[in-house]
Amino acid sequence: MRSFLACLLPLLAIGNVYASALTLQSPRFTISASDATQLRSEPLSTTKKPSALTLGAKDVLKVTFQVVEEEGKGVQPHQTFLRFYDEVSGEEGIQPVRVTAGGKAKFELNMAKPPASLPPTTASDPLKVELIIGSFVHSPLKMDLFDLFLPASQPAPQHPDEPSFHVRSEIHHTFQPDPKLPPKFISAVFAALVLAPWVVLLGLWGFISPSVPHLLSPSILPFIATLGAFEGLLFWYWVDLKLGQVLLYGAILSIPTLIAGNQALSTMGKWRAGRK
Amino acid sequence: MAPSKTSQPTQSNAVLSLWKAYNENTSTRLKSVDAFLVFLMLSGIAQFLYCILVTNYPFNAFLAGFASCVGQFVLTASLRAQVNPQNRSEFKEVSPERAFADFALGSIVLHFFVYNFLG
Repeated sequence: MRSFLACLLPLLAIGNVYASALTLQSPRFTISASDATQLRSEPLSTTKKPSALTLGAKDVLKVTFQVVEEEGKGVQPHQTFLRFYDEVSGEEGIQPVRVTAGGKAKFELNMAKPPASLPPTTASDPLKVELIIGSFVHSPLKMDLFDLFLPASQPAPQHPDEPSFHVRSEIHHTFQPDPKLPPKFISAVFAALVLAPWVVLLGLWGFISPSVPHLLSPSILPFIATLGAFEGLLFWYWVDLKLGQVLLYGAILSIPTLIAGNQALSTMGKWRAGRK
Repeated sequence: MAPSKTSQPTQSNAVLSLWKAYNENTSTRLKSVDAFLVFLMLSGIAQFLYCILVTNYPFNAFLAGFASCVGQFVLTASLRAQVNPQNRSEFKEVSPERAFADFALGSIVLHFFVYNFLG
């Protein structure tokens, strides 16, 4: 710790030696209209602010000064900025100023083409304009230059995603009305119409009277019975069963059906071959 | 309208003779299959009329009913084509028993899907 202080003290001493102050020489502002006629031109004082400046929509503000040491020699500081600060809204914009090697600086603010770093302005409250100078070898300088009224900026454009950052109005779903069954009478008529083909079928079969001589023979009946059981199983599926159950029962039922069908159809084939 | 006068009796004659030949030359088995086909067609038409004229509201039921008619019609028609003795040369390797087994299997699968749709 002692050695650190021993190191630091000479440094501080050097700093004290070089921390000489900077000043501005012949600071001046000029406001001119777009056709280059001069509207206002006054020297700036380091102690007293001039009355507030007002820029029109196409006016040009020029600020010129020279940064000098106490001895009057021009100095190029490392950083020179103008800060435009709106005290009411708290918005600020920093604009760098180019300083020549001789310390001369010229800043131009053309309201026809304002820089993007200007804070949004309103017509009522002025921007405070400050000059900030930073240097490695001099003590920093910060001074209020003047108050500046700019034409009010346009309202900020709305971001396309802006509405999604607010509460939205509640969504009301609209549903289709429930489908309605037709009147009972029409239902009954069409039910009769759909059932009518059964009458036709039974009538035609009665008329044709196909003979099924082997239906009840012991080799055919099991096949017919298992087919009927399959239909019954599917009907049961419609009424009650789940898909997994019907697949399981169907798989079980398919085995006797295969056996019975194989036997029945081979018997039929033999009969057919024998008849030929 | 001279041609219609002459064609009317010949047309009805043709239909009559067709009907007669069908009645005489078709076995009762094929006739009963034909009756079943007529039944399927009529009930399919009735359901379709209901869907067009009144409502398709239980649409799954309409789909199931209509599809069962159409599917069963197709299966039965192919069964009839395969067991018809006159088509024996077309289906040499398909015996009537094999055709019936196909018909039964196809019908069961069809009915499974139909009941699935019926809801």
